[in-house]
Amino acid sequence: MTNPRCDQIRDSIPDFSAGRLARAEATAVQEHLDGCEDCRAEAELVALLFAARPPVPAGLAESIEGHVRFRRASGGRPWWGLAAAAVAAVALGIGVSSRSTSEVEDVPAYVADMQGLSPWVSDDGLIAGAPALDGLSDEALETLLDEMAAGGSGGAA
Amino acid sequence: MSDGELVRRAQDGDESAFSALVREHGESVYRTALSMVSDPDVANDVAQETFLKAYRALAGFRGDAAFRTWILTIAANAARGALRRSNRRRETDIDAVPPVASEAASPEDDAVLADEATRARQALERLPEKQRLSVQLRVDQGLSFREIGDIIGSSEGAARVNYFHGIRRLREMMG
Repeated sequence: MTNPRCDQIRDSIPDFSAGRLARAEATAVQEHLDGCEDCRAEAELVALLFAARPPVPAGLAESIEGHVRFRRASGGRPWWGLAAAAVAAVALGIGVSSRSTSEVEDVPAYVADMQGLSPWVSDDGLIAGAPALDGLSDEALETLLDEMAAGGSGGAA
Repeated sequence: MSDGELVRRAQDGDESAFSALVREHGESVYRTALSMVSDPDVANDVAQETFLKAYRALAGFRGDAAFRTWILTIAANAARGALRRSNRRRETDIDAVPPVASEAASPEDDAVLADEATRARQALERLPEKQRLSVQLRVDQGLSFREIGDIIGSSEGAARVNYFHGIRRLREMMG
C-alpha cells in the first residue's frame, strides 16, 4: 500500500527519471526509492519508458516549415487543388506557354512562389472532378477527402 | 525568448518567430502524434498539418492556454482525424498482450535493458488512448496533469487517474 509520501514521490517519478528535477528534490526522491520497493519498481518502469522514447526523424522542423510554406504558397489548396486549377485553366482555353514563370507578368503569386519547389503532380483520376473543388475551404476539402476515403473503402464502381 | 513573445512576433508576421516555435515544439508534436497513430510517416504528416493549422489560427490565439498546450491539443485532434481517415491503428484487446519475459536476470546487461525498454514501449502502445497519451505526455514530455487534461479533454484529476491506471496496467503487463 502506498502512503501520502509515496503519492508525492509517484507524482515526481517521471521528472526524476527524465532528469528534470533540481538536485535537492532528486536526492529526496532517490532516498525514498531506496527504501520503498513499490515506488522503486514504478520508477524503473518509467525509466525504461523514457529511455526507449522513439526517435524523432532528422530534419523534422525543416519538413514542417517546408510544408507550411508550400501550403501557404498554394493559397491553402492541397496539391490536387492546384492540379485542378491547372486543368480548369486548360479547359477554359488559357494558353500554355513554354516561357518560364518569371517571364510572365500576370502569374498568380502562389505560382511564382512555387518556383524551386517540387509539388507532387497528380497521376490519378482526381483531376476529373477538380474544377468543382477549386473554391472549397480547407474544412470542406477535408470532409470531401473523408467521404472519398469512405467511398473507396466500400469499393468504387 | 518565451513562447508568448514568439507568438506575439509571429502574429505580427515575423516568420522567424514561427520557425522558432516549430523548432521548440515540433518534437513534442511529433511524439504526441506518434503515440496516437503508431506510424512514423503518419505522425510526420500530422506534425506538418498541426503547424499549418496553428499558423492559420495563430491570429486568434489569445494566450489563454500555454502555446504548448494549444499546439499539442491541435496535434491530438489532427491525429484522431488521421486515424479516422486511415484506420491504421488496430484496436487491440489489452488482455491479449503477450506477457513480457521476466527472465532478465542481469539488469547490468545493456542488451537486456534495451529489450525490456522496447517491451515497455510496446506495452504502452496497447493501452487505451487516454491512458497511453497521459503516460506519454507525462513521462516523455513532462507535462503537468492540468496540461494533459486540457489536451485529452478531461479534468486534471481525470488525467491523473488515466496516468496512474496506465502505469499500473503497464506494470501488470511487464510482469
